[in-house]
Amino acid sequence: MNSVISAKGLTKRYGKRTAVDGIDFEIPAGRIVGLIGPNGSGKTTTLKAALGLVPFEGALSVLGFDPRTQRDDLMQDVCFIADVAILPRWLRVKDAVDFVAGVHPRFNREKAERYIASTSLKPGMKVKEMSKGMIVQLHLALVMAIDAKLLVLDEPTLGLDIIYRKQFYQNLLEDYFDEHKTIVITTHQVEEVEHILTDLMFIREGRIVLAASMEEIGERYIEVMVSHDKLSAANALQPIDRRTVFGKSVMLFDAGAPGASNGISRQQLAALGETRNPSVADLFVATMKGSYA
Amino acid sequence: MNTVTMKWLLRREFWEYKGSMLWAPLAVAALLVLSIGATMAYGLAMHDLPTHITINGQTLNGYSVGVTLELRNRIAQVASSVYLGASLPLFGLLTAVIFSYCLGALHDERRDRSILFWKSLPVSDAMTVLSKAITALLVAPLITIVVGTIASLLLLLIGCLALGVNGINILGPILASPDLYLSPLRILALLPVYLVWALPTVGWLLLVSSWARAKPLMWAVGAPLVGLLMVKWVSVAAENIGGQPLNLMHHAQEVVARILGGIVPGIWFSFHDGLPPALRPGPNGADMNSLVSGSYATLTHADAWLWALAGAAMLYAAMRLRRYRDEG
Repeated sequence: MNSVISAKGLTKRYGKRTAVDGIDFEIPAGRIVGLIGPNGSGKTTTLKAALGLVPFEGALSVLGFDPRTQRDDLMQDVCFIADVAILPRWLRVKDAVDFVAGVHPRFNREKAERYIASTSLKPGMKVKEMSKGMIVQLHLALVMAIDAKLLVLDEPTLGLDIIYRKQFYQNLLEDYFDEHKTIVITTHQVEEVEHILTDLMFIREGRIVLAASMEEIGERYIEVMVSHDKLSAANALQPIDRRTVFGKSVMLFDAGAPGASNGISRQQLAALGETRNPSVADLFVATMKGSYA
Repeated sequence: MNTVTMKWLLRREFWEYKGSMLWAPLAVAALLVLSIGATMAYGLAMHDLPTHITINGQTLNGYSVGVTLELRNRIAQVASSVYLGASLPLFGLLTAVIFSYCLGALHDERRDRSILFWKSLPVSDAMTVLSKAITALLVAPLITIVVGTIASLLLLLIGCLALGVNGINILGPILASPDLYLSPLRILALLPVYLVWALPTVGWLLLVSSWARAKPLMWAVGAPLVGLLMVKWVSVAAENIGGQPLNLMHHAQEVVARILGGIVPGIWFSFHDGLPPALRPGPNGADMNSLVSGSYATLTHADAWLWALAGAAMLYAAMRLRRYRDEG
């Protein structure tokens, strides 16, 4: 079993609306995958299906389990943060640690307590007395002390200050991730996660429009600052996106698109102007063109 | 069944509902002891018992008037058999606590979305729903029994002291009375009976709590009442058309009583034969043994078990609903 998540024809309908439209994908172990799409594109629904929170059609295997029928087994090895604000308001820090330690066989109590000690959280504090950032710290302390094979984060930093957001991802990388773990993150704030991802999946209107590793993306997509005299030559190569920065045209090319018969080489593009790798955000905007129309 | 997980789930419920499960009965018990105790003490201290009597200018004191040994023993017997009656308000409170607990138990976690946190842990829906049913059917009543017994004992002690000040010492006979020790055990022995009769109501309330998107109270109480109205309307219409009264109303009322009233302690007497005659207060106090035997006798009716089964089925439905309840 190589794949942590394997989906074939995964479909989820809410009444007449199709939230996820027959998607196929594989997520191998030891990766940090960004599932990125606009609001309502089906990313949260996809994760809910994988976590056994909603029924669905099609085939979906998570760590070898079917989330529909084997959720109780699955949850021994999977953990998720669905939304930062979901810790119950009456919960005390020490009770939260006691409870998770009591019910989770893979929970490392010392690790959680060490992490909590490094924050301003006090053992007797209730969630309702905490700031939003502190709630995230508590939740993260609990989740990071669980030695899960798969961690799913759905918009984990929504509504947080920039300081907490940076800290959140930094802790995740430094204290949690290793080659035996897999992390899936959904967000629509692409800039924030692009430096920690190993893989990208763009989802749009219930379909996956791009799924590749960051290396592949680096090879395939090239951004060129086109000089004025080369504009028509550049347009002839059919850029997938163009914008203007300080009066200069910046064009985005797909060097490995199946449609381009002989492909576009880096040399060709280098002749047009300065080349560089596009940011995930620019790639996202180019790919999602039209879905915000 | 994982008992360690269940232990933590029960503890979790206790943390969340400590206010209504523990502090509320404690507060009411303290109020009872203070108010009744103070009234007793004040009454007996300020206005002496009629233990002396003046006949033809001669005053006879209590001992010669006839607070005889027999009378003292009778007071002691009555007191030791009914002293737990002082905790009745606590059992009224218990009904209200269980009612609101069950309605909120599976609804609040969806409203504040904390269900997603609980579901991120290896705890099954079956375990979670079961822990809530156990909290309602066993934990809350047990706490009330313990608090009620302590409060009643305190009141009994205050009463003894007050009488003792007036020269009537009943503490000895009371301490020697087996009823003093047996009464709390009798109440405890009623817990299984309570469980069977309360199960339909707890099942119904948890089912509504798990199902309703909003306002579980309205659904839990409103739906049965609307149902009653409709049955009433149908039977009146049928009577007007066919001339024969339908006996539907009786059954409908029965259903509503079972799914809403089952958590009232002692309700089981109202479903069949009424209160056993020996339980009606008499000059010697109540025969508390017949309370226990009479209660268990209600379990010989098949409907007790059929309704308990229906309650279990509703719990199962609540568990299935929690499994895939998607709040978006």
